[in-house]
Amino acid sequence: MEIYLPIAEMSVHWMVLLGMGAGVGFLAGMFGVGGGFLLTPLLIFYGIPAEVAVATTASHLTASSMSGAVALWHRRVIDFKMAAVMLMGGLAGSLLGVQLFALLRRIGQAEIAVSAGYILLLGSIGGLMLRESVRALRAAKTSVPLLYPQRHNWIHGLPLKMRFRKSRLYISVLPPLGLGVGVGILSSVLGVGGGFVIVPAMIYLLRMPANVVVGTSLVQIVFVTAITTLLHALSDFSVDLLLALFLILGGVVGAQYGVRMASRLGGEQLRLFLALLVLAVGARLLYGLVITPRDIYAVTSGTP
Amino acid sequence: MKVRGACFAGLAFCMLGPHALAEDLVSGISQDQIQITSNYAGSDIVVFGAVEQSGSSSTGTRDVVVVVRGPDTDFVVRRKARVAGIWLNRDKITLYGMPAYYYVASTRPLAKIAGNAALAQFQLGLAHLMPERESTRSVRKGEPFRRAAIRTRVRQQLYAEAPDGVEFLSYSLFRVHVPVPASVPRGQYAVQVYLFRDGSVVSAQTTPLFVDQIGLERRLFHYAHARPLEYGLATVLMAMLLGWGSSFVFKRPA
Repeated sequence: MEIYLPIAEMSVHWMVLLGMGAGVGFLAGMFGVGGGFLLTPLLIFYGIPAEVAVATTASHLTASSMSGAVALWHRRVIDFKMAAVMLMGGLAGSLLGVQLFALLRRIGQAEIAVSAGYILLLGSIGGLMLRESVRALRAAKTSVPLLYPQRHNWIHGLPLKMRFRKSRLYISVLPPLGLGVGVGILSSVLGVGGGFVIVPAMIYLLRMPANVVVGTSLVQIVFVTAITTLLHALSDFSVDLLLALFLILGGVVGAQYGVRMASRLGGEQLRLFLALLVLAVGARLLYGLVITPRDIYAVTSGTP
Repeated sequence: MKVRGACFAGLAFCMLGPHALAEDLVSGISQDQIQITSNYAGSDIVVFGAVEQSGSSSTGTRDVVVVVRGPDTDFVVRRKARVAGIWLNRDKITLYGMPAYYYVASTRPLAKIAGNAALAQFQLGLAHLMPERESTRSVRKGEPFRRAAIRTRVRQQLYAEAPDGVEFLSYSLFRVHVPVPASVPRGQYAVQVYLFRDGSVVSAQTTPLFVDQIGLERRLFHYAHARPLEYGLATVLMAMLLGWGSSFVFKRPA
């Protein structure tokens, strides 16, 4: 049965929406990322207007991250203190990002800036993760126990130290705060939850234990995407509630299975899969920028 | 939004002259309102009519052209250019006052019905569909952008030409099926029927058509625009509750 989406102004089959939601939700639960970097291009590819895709993806991310977060909360692997510190930075970042996005739209380069931003981000993070996980897997194969090197990096020299009991860390609040700001900007400009940035950053930069990372990033994503949804609803009325409903219904189911799958797979394999996925999406986007477009003219209707 | 087509039809009446009395055009549409509901998957409207002949002169060619025009909107057309291997948006032209939907059906290809001047005057055919104004003064510069906009609209099935879409059921009775895809924008449309005799318009008629959303979708649309804060909060709340609820439905195994 086709349903008519009131904000996107188009008819879509409900099975397609449920399927997309479930697929992305599964990955979200498995990796502890929001999956926005997959869902947004998927929706746009399907013909949903870009601004509606970006805004509605945010509310989908709220739900799927919530679902994953609750599942992990029962296992007590969430560092709420860390999440709160990052969220404070995230609030400031979102507000900054919205202004930046408005500026990009005014000069007509928002679309390309978004693509290029994705490619840079996905390429560098994917490459970094791939290198790390290949090294880790090789280390595991030669049966050398991989201890997390507790070497002191530049982060330990920063002031305003705070104890994060759950993460067994005693570090400055500045790195998590700054990370929050960065993720806030990214989420409002690129329309992603930012999980694929937070997760590696928490592991490699903050050196948080891997089991705490997923739950903590999910909690952070729940709130950042909630704020993003609100900002979009207020500024350009582009949140489609019906679209969100169907994506969420598929997404929450998918997320449950994703979380279960994650507990079956080892952390190293997970990271390798995520790295490959991130690189694949980045490569696809790069391809889209480089190939000769079918029509070099692009038309948007309505007020610019 | 004003439908500019109505003015054109009015113009047509003013210029008719003595022919108007000789030949009369009557037309109607199968429905004067299209309601887009949650399971709308596109439909057809039927435009029908009759050409009544009071005079005796039945020689010469006789053609009917039917146009359905959507509400006016602005198109921003950007042209990409390759810069260091990457395609970037370079030039931009805005076309002000283009119909959001345009469908023209005729008894024969338009070029055979009338000359360019007449077709351009009533904006009949995609070749003669012009914006009210453009963000550039140079027509030559704007032309590829106008064509690109029309090409895109045709691809989206929102613009179409049906050169043999008008079908005469009898000597005087005609009928047109106008496809209305699911993606049509809301607003006031105009159905314009033109009667050509030997290459010039002798009669014209315009009927308004409304496209609207009804039911839940319409209420959601209005809610989103009238009370964005409440709507946004409702969406966020729905998302959080669904996410929370799902983890109870799917109890973890041990």
